[in-house]
Amino acid sequence: MDVKLILSLLAENVERTGYPVPVDVERIYSWAKPLNLPRGGRAVLYTGALYQLAPYINSLVRHLESLEGRRAGGLALRLAKTLGKIIDLGKVVAKADPGEIKAVEEVLRSIARLLSAAGVEYGYLYEDDMYSGVILYDMGLDEAFARHAKMVAETLEKSGASLIITVDPHTTHVLRSVFPEYVDGFGLEVKNYLEILSENIDSLKPRRGEAGYRVVIHDPCFYARHEGIVEEPRQLLRFAGLEVEEPPRSGKMTYCCGGPVEAVSPSLSRRIAETRLRELQGVGGRIVTMCPICYVNLRRVGGKVEDIALHLSRRLL
Amino acid sequence: MPSVALEEVLRDVRRALEDPALQEGLRRAYTGAERRVPEILAEHPEILELARRVEEAKRRVLEDLDRYIEMAVESLKGVGAEPHFAGTAEEAREIVAGIVGSGKVVVMSKSMVAAEIGLREHLESLGNEVWETDLGELLIQLQGSKPMHTIAPAIHLTREEAARLVSEKLGVKLDGEKIEEIVAVVRRYLRDKFVRADVGISGANALAADTGAFVLVENEGNIRLVTGLPPLHIAVVGVDKIVPTLTDAFHVAMVQAAYASLYPPTYLNVIAGPSSTADIEKKRVYGAHGPPKLHVVLVDNGRKKAAKKPLLAEQLRCIRCGRCQLECPVWRLTANHWGGPVYGGPMGVGWTAVTLGEESGAELAHLCLGCARCDEVCPVRIPLSRIIRWLKKLYAESHGL
Repeated sequence: MDVKLILSLLAENVERTGYPVPVDVERIYSWAKPLNLPRGGRAVLYTGALYQLAPYINSLVRHLESLEGRRAGGLALRLAKTLGKIIDLGKVVAKADPGEIKAVEEVLRSIARLLSAAGVEYGYLYEDDMYSGVILYDMGLDEAFARHAKMVAETLEKSGASLIITVDPHTTHVLRSVFPEYVDGFGLEVKNYLEILSENIDSLKPRRGEAGYRVVIHDPCFYARHEGIVEEPRQLLRFAGLEVEEPPRSGKMTYCCGGPVEAVSPSLSRRIAETRLRELQGVGGRIVTMCPICYVNLRRVGGKVEDIALHLSRRLL
Repeated sequence: MPSVALEEVLRDVRRALEDPALQEGLRRAYTGAERRVPEILAEHPEILELARRVEEAKRRVLEDLDRYIEMAVESLKGVGAEPHFAGTAEEAREIVAGIVGSGKVVVMSKSMVAAEIGLREHLESLGNEVWETDLGELLIQLQGSKPMHTIAPAIHLTREEAARLVSEKLGVKLDGEKIEEIVAVVRRYLRDKFVRADVGISGANALAADTGAFVLVENEGNIRLVTGLPPLHIAVVGVDKIVPTLTDAFHVAMVQAAYASLYPPTYLNVIAGPSSTADIEKKRVYGAHGPPKLHVVLVDNGRKKAAKKPLLAEQLRCIRCGRCQLECPVWRLTANHWGGPVYGGPMGVGWTAVTLGEESGAELAHLCLGCARCDEVCPVRIPLSRIIRWLKKLYAESHGL
């Protein structure tokens, strides 16, 4: 892959549109409409758009996979760039799977409903639910990241919230552990919804009389190794009456889904995902993910996986 | 210009993924290694304590590297060794070449720093007969390839491939492809080289600044022969291997062995100066049974500069156990095809940045997942994934992004 070109496309996309890949912007917050969530408040739900972006990232990666190793790949991208059609690239590559879009929106609604069921009072940001910029940070595009992060921080601060509730590992990590380094005076409290649900577990009630089933848990690297979120998902799944199985590598030693190199080396990414999927399948049980990137990556290699929020909402709502 | 190019790394990685022999060799080799280290640590919790001490000792040296190099040089002189200092890989090669000359038989024990400075090839080009004596490293020499793991260089070779190499390249007959048979044949073959060798070249796991003693840990027994049998011993030692005391040096060896899942190590060699005796009239005579002459070449090659850099300095604590490689999802599919021309995997990216320049390390950085399993297992707590993310940043900056 032409990494330089990919990096500059990502940076330019974020600069011009706010998102790393072309995306239907209204779809970023329209998932929340049926829920009638209040706007703003002391605590706000901040998705950082990663769940919503995952199907688009997935379709871009599928496209890159088909180009990998072909000279034409670099050529096509270069052409798109010289023609200044960075945003139009979306029409070519971002033919995201509508089923996947629906699925991630359902995950977000489940998260929102679970928070409400746990008695948490919170609002939503709607069009101010900006992308966090995490991919810029991961790719070492620090200047572009710092610029974007400043805007995100300003927007969040302007909302008047003092607590930011995040829903995925990457956004949680970047907001809680990276923003303070890159944005002067960033002092908002950041908590992940799994942490909040765990704190308020007494307010939740498992449905009675439904048989539990076995789940095998795939910890995301950023929850387990960077943000110390290991016990919460297990506690919640067990509380919901599910039997939690550990794969050979779990918790702090969890194994990457391959996602982070998907744009640089799609074939390597695929092989890592296959390695992990085989391992998860070997345990027996329904595979639980907690990260939109893990979700689309394990799915791309044929995995039948489901987000933890869907498991929890079925049993706790 | 960086000496590593991302385009080539990506091609290498794709080739590695499509190499069934490599994939099969890797699969056979790492099954089990991941489990053994935690078992060893559970059985010997004192190792964890020693790892903290090693980390601390290395930090102390790296904060004051020039002074520790001077101390090491003085201590080496004190025990009758001849110290040399090489600023670059080329200088190091020239120093060793100057001592060895040409037309000699040279036996080497596996040394990453020797590979880093291209020593074997250089000595061969000067008309010396040079033999690697570590079995894995010999297979690499015979294959004309590069080591694929820090401790287990031939981790990617199956027994079938090893047998083919040994019989073809050494011209010895093998009955079948039993591993025992390969080992026995190589043992017989190299025995003659050890006896005839004019020079033995080794690395070192750690060099004590206080005493000039260095330690070498091993399982095969080849290091004892390389450093003990020929009349001349040359040790090539990166300046990052200097630790304050001999006790620290022992700790390094123990921690390295445990994290490499080889515990206890079969052999631990301590070398403080050339062999000598004073058994007759208390007169000291050098070269009793071991070599009468010992040269120690201290190699900088980017280390002193790196020691002054935030983050990259932390790479220099590395004790080369290779644990980060075995735990890395990328390494497990590519072995040392990713990480640089000599070093590989997560530690390899950092070492490439140290020894070949940051811009070369930066070309490798984008293959890192940033998953941080390596950080989790490193005995001396090197923030490997953070070093690599910093290199990604350098990549962006140097390409105007």
